[in-house]
Amino acid sequence: MKSMKKIRILDSVVTHVILIVVAFIFFFPCLWLILASFSKSGSIYSFKGFFPSEYSLDTFRSLFTDTAMYNYPRWFRNTLFISIMSCITGSFLLLLTAYTMSRFQFKGRKAIMKTTLVLGMFPSFMGMIAVYIIMTQFGLINNMWGLILIYAANAPMGYLTQKGFFDSIPYSIDEAARIDGATNFQVFLKINLPLSLPIIVYTALTSFTFPWSDFILPKLLLKEKDLYTVAVGLMSLGDTEFSRFAAGSVFIAVPIVILYFCLMKFLVNGMTAGAVKG
Amino acid sequence: MKGLQDFIKNAGKNVKLSMCLMGLGQIFYGQIGKGLCYLGILVLAIAYFLYRGFADLAGLFTLGTKEADTWLGVQGDNSVVMLLMGILAIIALLFLAYCYISNIMDAYETQKICKKGGQPARFQDDLKQFLDKKFYKTVLFLPIIGVCVFVILPIVFMIAIAFTNYGGSIVPPKLVDWVGANNFIQIATLSQFAPTFGRILAWNLLWALVSTALNYFAGLGLALLLNKECVKKKAFWRVFPMLAYAIPGFITLLGFKFMFSYGGPINQMITDIGGTPIGFLDIDAKWIARIIGFAINAWISVPSIMLLATSILSNQDVSQMESARIDGASPFQQFRYITLPFVLFSTTSVLIGQFIGNFNNFGIFFFLRGGLYLDGYFLASDTDLLINWLYNLSINNNYYNIGATISLVIFLITSMISLAIYTRSSSYREEDTFR
Repeated sequence: MKSMKKIRILDSVVTHVILIVVAFIFFFPCLWLILASFSKSGSIYSFKGFFPSEYSLDTFRSLFTDTAMYNYPRWFRNTLFISIMSCITGSFLLLLTAYTMSRFQFKGRKAIMKTTLVLGMFPSFMGMIAVYIIMTQFGLINNMWGLILIYAANAPMGYLTQKGFFDSIPYSIDEAARIDGATNFQVFLKINLPLSLPIIVYTALTSFTFPWSDFILPKLLLKEKDLYTVAVGLMSLGDTEFSRFAAGSVFIAVPIVILYFCLMKFLVNGMTAGAVKG
Repeated sequence: MKGLQDFIKNAGKNVKLSMCLMGLGQIFYGQIGKGLCYLGILVLAIAYFLYRGFADLAGLFTLGTKEADTWLGVQGDNSVVMLLMGILAIIALLFLAYCYISNIMDAYETQKICKKGGQPARFQDDLKQFLDKKFYKTVLFLPIIGVCVFVILPIVFMIAIAFTNYGGSIVPPKLVDWVGANNFIQIATLSQFAPTFGRILAWNLLWALVSTALNYFAGLGLALLLNKECVKKKAFWRVFPMLAYAIPGFITLLGFKFMFSYGGPINQMITDIGGTPIGFLDIDAKWIARIIGFAINAWISVPSIMLLATSILSNQDVSQMESARIDGASPFQQFRYITLPFVLFSTTSVLIGQFIGNFNNFGIFFFLRGGLYLDGYFLASDTDLLINWLYNLSINNNYYNIGATISLVIFLITSMISLAIYTRSSSYREEDTFR
């Protein structure tokens, strides 16, 4: 019995040592970036090893006031605008598509499912050049609405996760409501919508954070400095502007991190729904 | 086939009218509103085709005949725009054909109803159907239009580009031509592309396999570790990986790039203890850069796998484990024969998704070593994946045709792999299990 206990203690110690190492690996880069954003001098070369030699709040101040070269407030407003607009339009289209694909049996449903599956396998920006030409034809280059249009139009392609969730809502509720005389539209609005709150939150969150952290499309379509998003803007910062980069990153990462932590339950549920049902 | 024979035998006067002119049959049935709608679509379509549709279709075959000449002030044809507009015209043609057939079918249905003694449906009732029985049509209309223009059209365009000589020195105002499978032959044989293609493909497959396996098992391992009974305060330990999960990817990647740069903290520590700085991401840092790539990719992807595995493990049947333990199974045996099959079964589609995502993982090496061109490679470096090469070729260097050809190769590889796994996975075969 004694050896059993010893093994158990040893097991617990080893487990916790591994956990501490893992926590360190994940936490250290974040800590490094946060401390760097409070560094007094901007260049990465003036750091002592991992940490800044002196601390101050200047970087954050200049991030918002010194906008001649790097107009961070502007980038931030652009990103926020694009993300919110594509979140609203994209989630709307995506949820409706997923709901329809889950609830309706119609001719061509299987065909649509197979087509989207095949389309999803093309490299994501294979069509970038074509998109660029289309946007020039529409006159939407250097226009944030063009970007929003593309995000919204692409959103329904990812309907499988949401469809998986809607599949798990019992169909018998629908039928009962239909017998009581509700139309399909009413069934959606009054019954399925309230039941689907978790997946709606999940969809909204993911379709908000995708444009928030995308860099390929904005880099391709928004050429003017005034139209940069945060991702494109931060990419243009070099070694000597390191603390500005750190401060800018921390400033946009913190809201997202808080949002993720508050909504983690929804996120995990959404991921699982997509995984298990596919 | 039998339905078609019936149709030919039975089609009445009004159906034939609809066949001649969209909507005419409906108007003769007294369905004025619907008939006018069909007629309107036809008029719009004809106007479009007369205005530019026919020219666009012809342009698709010629890809332009008149080369621009700035000296003489001749405004030439833009082959690329012509190609795109030609594809758009084909999509419009298909849409028109769909409307035409649906118009004939509709008239035929009405005829059947009238034969049985019923009344042709009124326009209001037809419209109401779009909120009820045909609700799916109403809903899917916008998404399908969007997907057609911004997903299907670009993909078809790029597939077409793979069969042209668009790229290199041949860009508008020069005229582009169809060249058949020439680009595929070039990639496979030409000394300019073939060695680079072979090397990148090999590395890309290795990358996708290793990083998927690494992320998957590390994530699963972490989840199992957190699931152990001896771990108290599970929520606390879970915070750290979740932090990594929540930070936007490009910040992580740029941050790590700074960390491994010459002036970065790691090199500073090395110089502090008297060493010489190491160019982790330098041009000759082949395997060091690759290993850093694996590590950073794991840092980004492991947390999401962990979260997923945790929630799947919480659904696991505990009694099974209990009985296995009583029967004397070692912890490893329990993992190998009970937990692993269960988790693998539940996450087949995630594994496929991870594999494809890693195969096409653009961000990692774009941020870490973007824009490096090595000797022995054509516009690429030894960490670049096919997708990075595709970006270098087509967006930075105008080799559109080669880029498009590579996209098709990537598509062939990923689709074959995932189709093979997907059709065998149970989640496809038992789609309606929970119905």
